[in-house]
Amino acid sequence: MQSLIEIKNLKHSYIDTDGNEIHALNGVSLDIYKGEFIAVIGANGSGKSTLARHLNALLLPTEGKCVVAGMDTADDKNLWNIRQHVGMVFQNPDNQIVAAIVEEDVAFGPENIGVPPAEIRTRVDNALAAVGMTEYAKHAPHLLSGGQKQRVAIAGVLALEPDCIVLDEPTAMLDPRGRIEIVNTVKKLNREKNITVVYITHYMEEAMQADRIIAMEHGVIKMHGRPEEIFTKVKELHALGLETPLAAQAAFDLRQKGIKLADGIISNEELTEELCR
Amino acid sequence: MPISLEHVSFTYMKGTPFEKTALHDVNLQIEKGEFVAVIGHTGSGKSTLVQHLSGLLHPQKGSVCVDGVNLNAKNAAAKKARNSVGMVFQYPEHQIFAETVYEDIAFGPRNKGLTPEGTDRAVKDAMAFAGLDFETFAQRSPFRLSGGQMRRVAIAGVVAMEPDYLILDEPSAGLDPRARDEIFKEIMALYRKRGIAVILVTHNMEEAARYATRLLVVSDGRIILDGVPHEIFTNHKEELLKVSMDVPPVYKLAECLQEHGLNVKSTPELADLERQILKVRRSRHAD
Repeated sequence: MQSLIEIKNLKHSYIDTDGNEIHALNGVSLDIYKGEFIAVIGANGSGKSTLARHLNALLLPTEGKCVVAGMDTADDKNLWNIRQHVGMVFQNPDNQIVAAIVEEDVAFGPENIGVPPAEIRTRVDNALAAVGMTEYAKHAPHLLSGGQKQRVAIAGVLALEPDCIVLDEPTAMLDPRGRIEIVNTVKKLNREKNITVVYITHYMEEAMQADRIIAMEHGVIKMHGRPEEIFTKVKELHALGLETPLAAQAAFDLRQKGIKLADGIISNEELTEELCR
Repeated sequence: MPISLEHVSFTYMKGTPFEKTALHDVNLQIEKGEFVAVIGHTGSGKSTLVQHLSGLLHPQKGSVCVDGVNLNAKNAAAKKARNSVGMVFQYPEHQIFAETVYEDIAFGPRNKGLTPEGTDRAVKDAMAFAGLDFETFAQRSPFRLSGGQMRRVAIAGVVAMEPDYLILDEPSAGLDPRARDEIFKEIMALYRKRGIAVILVTHNMEEAARYATRLLVVSDGRIILDGVPHEIFTNHKEELLKVSMDVPPVYKLAECLQEHGLNVKSTPELADLERQILKVRRSRHAD
């Protein structure tokens, strides 16, 4: 596979207002491949968001390198180009919606980078269709549900036609249906449009959907692997202050009580199938 | 004595094209000692509801009374009644304002008219309660704390007022699992020790199942379900899904097992479900 983003020994530190040096990232190396769906988990303050903000040059490395599609983020002249390759979606949809009509909000990005009007029309229509919001094109964003607003925010990023979308806890404020909407939308964009996804979350059920999971602590990557590798390491996850999906926890507990189960169980369906055999 | 809403209606932007009725003739009583979880989709009216409980919004129709005193009256009794309802907002950083953690938590007790010594004691108690070490945190700026710590300062500030009714609006949104558990440990300790009523607004079904004694489901400005969480999660799944809610993961696992013929009952506790699974396995092996 071809890597889209190469991160080499990335360190990020800053001096806080009390004069202490804070090491938010302490030497992270990671290749993010084109078309993959990668989830980043970790306790509050583990460096997840700091890492995410390096991916489109919102933050720059103190040491080490972050290279996006061959462009070093530390080089000023790459900035706008990098941001068209990698788009970001944040936690609170209300903070990232700028216009009074849904389609105008989605058009904001392409207008800003000087896309011709006819093409803006196509891009906006495609972006809204991709997130399933076409019928709301003329609506006012503030009257939509949380999940719908967040999908508009994703459409706004899609209209810039990025290779990669970074989502920083996009479901933290959403109700259960909103969460499902976002996870499904992101999965669809990844599978059908081959968009690379970096997805930060505290919800393990969401992280389970990824191809690969990174678990962070104190600014370094502590665990790294496929969901079924990560979520079966129950003790290591607990040590990082994290949980496992419920089925993985149940499989772990049942094994301790002497029930023989196959390895790698993380979903309800897998656990049920094993138990009913 | 309860907090009670009688025939409460509220409409935002009345008389404009954007008019939206957030509450339709709501009747509700919450007794001390109850732990009430309030769930509902974005825009369901649950925030409007809890803002009425705390006197932040005045009902356009109907009344809100705490211990028999109308919250919206303009007298000393009403002020006292409003003080008995504490509210922790979703963004604790929005309700933190002072230069030090101490000053922030002391604001409420001082306003209530406590003496400097009384205030000092209230602050120390509240900080101990919220798991904030006095020496470490009292003189620090609350704005330089982590999200979880800020939330604790906000909770401590409300706890220092010794409310009889504590309203928490999504206290765990954006927190990692460990911080979530810690916050709830504190809330449960307060709930048990003081026998207060806790009203928890949440999008997290697991929290509702695990902590609440009563569950309110709000949709389109009405309370559509009101009962014991376990009963609602077991028997009203369809209605919950219809209003953008869901059942907690442990209920989904039980359902998945049931669909495949495993004889287990729904339960809010994973440990209980595991015990049932073991029992079923043993009896099957005994056959």
